[in-house]
Amino acid sequence: MKRDLHQFQGPDTRFPNHGTPNTLSSSSSSKDKLMMIKEEEDGGNMDELLAVLGYKVRSSEMAEVALKLEQLETMMGNVQEDGLSNLATDTVHYNPSELYSWLDNMLTEFNPPPPEINSSFLAGAGGSDYDLKAIPGNAVFARSNHFAIDSSSSSNQAGDNNSKRLKSCSSPDSLVTGTTTVTTTTTTTTATESTRSAALATESTRSMVLVDSQENGVRLVHALMACAEAIQNGDLSIAEALVKQIGFLAVSQAGAMRKVATYFAEALARRIYRLSPPQTQIDHSLSDTLQMHFYETCPYLKFAHFTANQAILEAFEGKKRVHVIDFSMNQGLQWPALMQALALREGGPPVFRLTGIGPPAADNSDHLHEVGCKLAQLAEAIHVEFEYRGFVANSLADLDASMLELRPSETEAVAVNSVFELHKLLGRPGGIEKVLGVVKQIKPVIFTVVEQESSHNGPVFLDRFTESLHYYSTLFDSLEGVPSCQDKVMSEVYLGKQICNLVACEGPDRVERHETLSQWANRFGSSGFAPAHLGSNAFKQASMLLALFNGGEGYRVEENNGCLMLGWHTRPLITTSAWKLSAAH
Amino acid sequence: MSEKRNRMVEKSNNKRRRVKLVPEFSINDHQDVLVEILRRLDGPSLCSAACVCRLWSAVARNDSIWEELCFRQVSPRPSPSLRSIVSALGGYRRLYFICIRPVLARLPTIIWSHDQLQLSLSLYCVHSYERLYVGAWLGDAPPSSLMFLRKPVNVV
Repeated sequence: MKRDLHQFQGPDTRFPNHGTPNTLSSSSSSKDKLMMIKEEEDGGNMDELLAVLGYKVRSSEMAEVALKLEQLETMMGNVQEDGLSNLATDTVHYNPSELYSWLDNMLTEFNPPPPEINSSFLAGAGGSDYDLKAIPGNAVFARSNHFAIDSSSSSNQAGDNNSKRLKSCSSPDSLVTGTTTVTTTTTTTTATESTRSAALATESTRSMVLVDSQENGVRLVHALMACAEAIQNGDLSIAEALVKQIGFLAVSQAGAMRKVATYFAEALARRIYRLSPPQTQIDHSLSDTLQMHFYETCPYLKFAHFTANQAILEAFEGKKRVHVIDFSMNQGLQWPALMQALALREGGPPVFRLTGIGPPAADNSDHLHEVGCKLAQLAEAIHVEFEYRGFVANSLADLDASMLELRPSETEAVAVNSVFELHKLLGRPGGIEKVLGVVKQIKPVIFTVVEQESSHNGPVFLDRFTESLHYYSTLFDSLEGVPSCQDKVMSEVYLGKQICNLVACEGPDRVERHETLSQWANRFGSSGFAPAHLGSNAFKQASMLLALFNGGEGYRVEENNGCLMLGWHTRPLITTSAWKLSAAH
Repeated sequence: MSEKRNRMVEKSNNKRRRVKLVPEFSINDHQDVLVEILRRLDGPSLCSAACVCRLWSAVARNDSIWEELCFRQVSPRPSPSLRSIVSALGGYRRLYFICIRPVLARLPTIIWSHDQLQLSLSLYCVHSYERLYVGAWLGDAPPSSLMFLRKPVNVV
């Protein structure tokens, strides 16, 4: 034991001029004599790893000690900004072995930490910087030098107090040296040793801290928020360090929290390193597949389709020829059910015309045409006269009413349907206004809109991040009840892509700009639409659908001003609303 | 002893003779009657009946039996026009197994009115669309939007 400690002699015996960079790296030196005394005194419930280095920390207090070390470092780092320059110029080497009480004293001596979350997370950043230091490279050591020169310690006066306090804690005076100047040469050579062993020390403390996953859950959320705030403030280096910490903490969680944190961490990393996520247009077939899996796993899309269909069915009552314009064609899963309902209505089915609008396929195949063929086959089987037209458009804003071959409204009733498509237009100026204008030109009897119920389009990145973190956490929670299968994994990937776009992209690339029902209602109202109430039939069908999923625990249908909201427990997640042209138009 | 035995044998012979006077009735010769009887059974009994012999299994595939089973609790009864549509989508037997039976299992106290029927048919329709027309474009497994109705299997 003694031989191992040989290289870790205390500063006053080996390096008389050695002023260690900061208190954390000072923890590397040790006194073997002291350690042995302490061990005898305290009966040995001390952490062994740290004891090797000469520091007495009780295993039960490890987490607190780590936290306090971080806090202390933050405050020392922050002191410079507070204008207490006298603290910044002098460096004092401390080498207490009784860490817990010494830290307490040091912390109370400084100003109490600021109430904002930032400080403890910058501390987290500082802590994780030690991970970076394990990698050799100039930048890393430059950082430690920075700390070496600028780090503060208490002034002489405080030092005396400290020595007094340390005395009362039964640590020998020899550990506390007077003020010393720091020479860069010595620090660089000793920094390597000290930082590596400090890294060891912090790593060993960290591995102890991770055992409590509930506390880590809170730390994880705080770290996510801090990272987002750092990005917003432009502190990319801190954000980078935090992202690594988030990745580490996310693994310690289980279930929905782990998945959500992983996706958000990836999205944040993409934002920091400016890696653009793959374009959705290129991966259109992939996103179609993912949406199919999402359709099968959970009730959201089914709810959307069935409630919208019910509204359209009621609006088409008595009409002999009907035309549906679908902004969100995808695989056309919404329309078989509507065709069947139309086939069964009293008086027989009307003539059903469908116009599907979708983005171009990657491999130039006419997948809209294929979907149309399949729907036509079904229509033939159930004896519904069917007509189909597919339009490929990069964006809905490229559409014009003249392209749609509208027939006079006396002969044909038109409905417009949009499921999770309208929010993509909000990135472009004038996009949504143009589309609403086109819809008005179409003069539909009903305009059904299904959108996510959350505010992910605010101007402030941090607000968007917070909102989306809550929203997707709730969504992933609702998926937890589904037994694990490939469908579930693909559904999570589907949601993960949305998260990635929301967090990592900006400008026209950011298409997932969700808005709440009230925001959409304002927009529709000012464009000349009036709400059409969804009837009780839609509500009953939705309730039954949800009751079939997992016994309906958790899912809730709510009616809100004639619109139906599907939510998980108390949080509404998607909203179906129906609109008609207001009387003035 | 042997006299008693002789008398018993005579009695049974008489019985046999008596039975011979009445024309034999085998249900298997009257499949429409069999259909009427099976139509009144409940689900599990019907499935047991279908396992009796090959003939009964073939008879049990008669869709009208399953139609009765599906809509026994529905009031008012759906119009006959439903029949052609359901046949086009795959028949009542499939409707029962895929849709109605899981629904009844999950919501035993359900009151079958128009809305509930409509939802079941919509689910069945999407399922049939996927099965018949979308096919195996997703790769290995054909898509099934009614996966959520199947009982979860505990795969450890």
